[in-house]
Amino acid sequence: MMKRLLTLLVALLLAGPVLAQSGPLRLTITDGVIEPITFAVPSFEAESPAAQQAASDISRLVVQDLAGTGLFREVPSTAFISQVSSFAQPVAFPDWRAINAQALIVGAVTVSGEQLVVKFRLYDVFSGQELGQGLQFAGTVAGWRRMGHKVADAVYSRITGEGGYFDSRVVFVSESGPKDNRQKRLAIMDFDGANVQFLTDSSSIVLAPRFSPNGDRVLYTSFESGFPRINVLNVANVGRQQLQTAAGEMAFSPRFSRDGRQVIYSLSNGGNTDIYRTDLASGQHLRLTQTPSIETAPSLSPDGSQIVFESDRSGTQQLYVMSANGGEARRISFGDGRYGSPVWSPRGDLVAFTKQNAGRFHIGVMRVDGSEERLLTSSFLDEGPSWSPNGRVIMFTRETQGAGGTSSLYSVDISGRNLKAVPLQGGASDPSWGPLQP
Amino acid sequence: MATPGTFISAVGHTGLIVWLIVGWGFDAEPLQIQTMDVSVISGEEFEQMRARTTPDPGAADPEAPVPPEVDETPPPPPAEEEPTETAPPPEPVEQPVEETPPPPPPEPLVTEADDQPPPEPSAPADPPPTPDIAVSEEATPPQAPTVASQITAPPPPDANVDDIVREEVVPDDSAEPDVVEEEQDATAPEETTTAIVIEDLAPRTSVRPSTRPSRPVPQPEPEPEQEESDVAEEAPAPSEPETSEDDVAAALEAALSATDAPAVAAGPPMTGAERDSFRISVNRCWNVDPGSVAARVTVEVGFSLDREGKVQGNDVRLISSDGDQSATNTAFEAARRAILRCQSGGYELPADKYDQWKDVVITFDPSGMRLR
Repeated sequence: MMKRLLTLLVALLLAGPVLAQSGPLRLTITDGVIEPITFAVPSFEAESPAAQQAASDISRLVVQDLAGTGLFREVPSTAFISQVSSFAQPVAFPDWRAINAQALIVGAVTVSGEQLVVKFRLYDVFSGQELGQGLQFAGTVAGWRRMGHKVADAVYSRITGEGGYFDSRVVFVSESGPKDNRQKRLAIMDFDGANVQFLTDSSSIVLAPRFSPNGDRVLYTSFESGFPRINVLNVANVGRQQLQTAAGEMAFSPRFSRDGRQVIYSLSNGGNTDIYRTDLASGQHLRLTQTPSIETAPSLSPDGSQIVFESDRSGTQQLYVMSANGGEARRISFGDGRYGSPVWSPRGDLVAFTKQNAGRFHIGVMRVDGSEERLLTSSFLDEGPSWSPNGRVIMFTRETQGAGGTSSLYSVDISGRNLKAVPLQGGASDPSWGPLQP
Repeated sequence: MATPGTFISAVGHTGLIVWLIVGWGFDAEPLQIQTMDVSVISGEEFEQMRARTTPDPGAADPEAPVPPEVDETPPPPPAEEEPTETAPPPEPVEQPVEETPPPPPPEPLVTEADDQPPPEPSAPADPPPTPDIAVSEEATPPQAPTVASQITAPPPPDANVDDIVREEVVPDDSAEPDVVEEEQDATAPEETTTAIVIEDLAPRTSVRPSTRPSRPVPQPEPEPEQEESDVAEEAPAPSEPETSEDDVAAALEAALSATDAPAVAAGPPMTGAERDSFRISVNRCWNVDPGSVAARVTVEVGFSLDREGKVQGNDVRLISSDGDQSATNTAFEAARRAILRCQSGGYELPADKYDQWKDVVITFDPSGMRLR
């Protein structure tokens, strides 16, 4: 009895402080800040005399790529306390902490003949640790931009935990001439507008190019025969192949399947437009929708199991999702206005779309079930969204108003921030963002 | 010449008047009348009675004793009490426990402060006003409690009090062996004095108003090991004599196992404002990318702070996460950057509550910042 009372007494004595606070101090933080991560890139070390220019150019390109995302902000070199003169030199972290650089990128470039080698290390300044291991890329001197994009992709990926998109290309329709006599041809460029190359001439109208999953081919709609036809273009040799359709049929709005062996597209016959799938090897067709309304702009989910498309079966243009093999479709857009040109995100969680409402066009995203719709842009005419390879950025066409209006390519982060134009000479439209290059 | 009848009449009327005035006339309440038998006596008998009861004018007045010659009699030494006029004023630490603020820290800095010279030298000579009855100058050494017509010196310390004075008789080895003296203790009359001693119930000195509790002096925190040992030493111990140490140990173990309590930090808990201040210090450096996959991951990280509020060894560890590996790594690194970047010279935390914040676990929950 005495022992029980004693136990109870001791338990009560111990319970008091426990109720006050026991163990470590526990806090929960739910509100952070949204601001760019600061980083510093001392000019990469030139390990050979011929590498001076490349080292400088690559350093600046890395800065440009990272800062261009809106997620990073460069600490200018004028603020540096210490310099990095050697790749193997120990990092004086206090000096970089003092200028509030959260990340430090140290690199070196070697040029031997036409071969260019770039290596780098990424440091988390405040923890004094290296993030990942140092990487090295080898290429040609002429391909120094790809080397710089590769470094930037690696840095981006290590800090954000997501894949990069800098070493990628975009195929688009280059436009020139007045609005009533506009010349259009296919072109390809780096994601940042550099290295533009034309894939077709301007003898016929081309529309809606789409990259293949691995970036080796491009699907596009050509009016070369007077009717819209789907062509498959080999990017490497610019060779073309036309998708076979019956006479009098109009095929447009094509996309590759995830494996690149099939094409889904819209086929208009007798005033009715439905979605079809064609096997490129066998040429077999499969009709996926059978309604009297217009179904077009199909886009496959990343796993290839579903298709999102637009249809006016409800009386207005809306978005629907159905199985990749056709069948019952469910509507996912219920907002005011008209929805079109849906594109499934590479992450699989969002669908980007064009929305027209109250005389304005918007680029927006929604979840695949139609929830959480967010409009990212608004202008006289925004249309044709295309996802970056990592599903983080959307590139689209923006056309200005009036007879002298021009089309340009813009990009925007899926948060709605960092809206900016892609620097290009001349007009451009219908971007299709390709995959990361190997 | 009054006749006996007149005399009797006068006596009777006088007695009646006196009885009316003293015994009956002023009391509204009926009094209990004491009756007594009255016998009639003659005038001679009355005079004779008066002659027997009248005191002798030459007799000494017992209520006016002759002042003793105190100069010739040394004052008796104080029996038990210390002279009050020499007693030092009570120190603050001697105040009752209930009147003092929280128990002083182990290091008696307050006492040291009191030992220092007071800021004003006249302070001890200028005590606060005290009641008149407590004027210490009038306080005299206590005297012998027994009052007698003559002063009797205090008995020797080894003498018993007795009416007869006897010398102490002890066996003397040098005396004749055939003479046997009976051992007896020394006796002496009880100490007396001629002055009537009135018991002085007033305090010898007035109670100084309790001093203002001194502010806790910041002291260096003892080493954690020392605190742990102190905590262990201060563990509640039953005072029942019949409880053995084994029982105490067993009870402690049972209580600990029953409550399953983790290590308890000693000292007062962190206030809400202190916790909020710490939280704000961290979250202003917590950079969240709402569009990233990591923004959908909640991570729990832990770290230890030194007494300056800096993360020990810049070591921030991941405790738990609800995301996949890649997103978890990104979310954890963002949390670590927040903690390390904003510590600067150390988080501003209450030094006296170090035990409460030396180990910290922070949950970074970006659910409220996700894109919607």
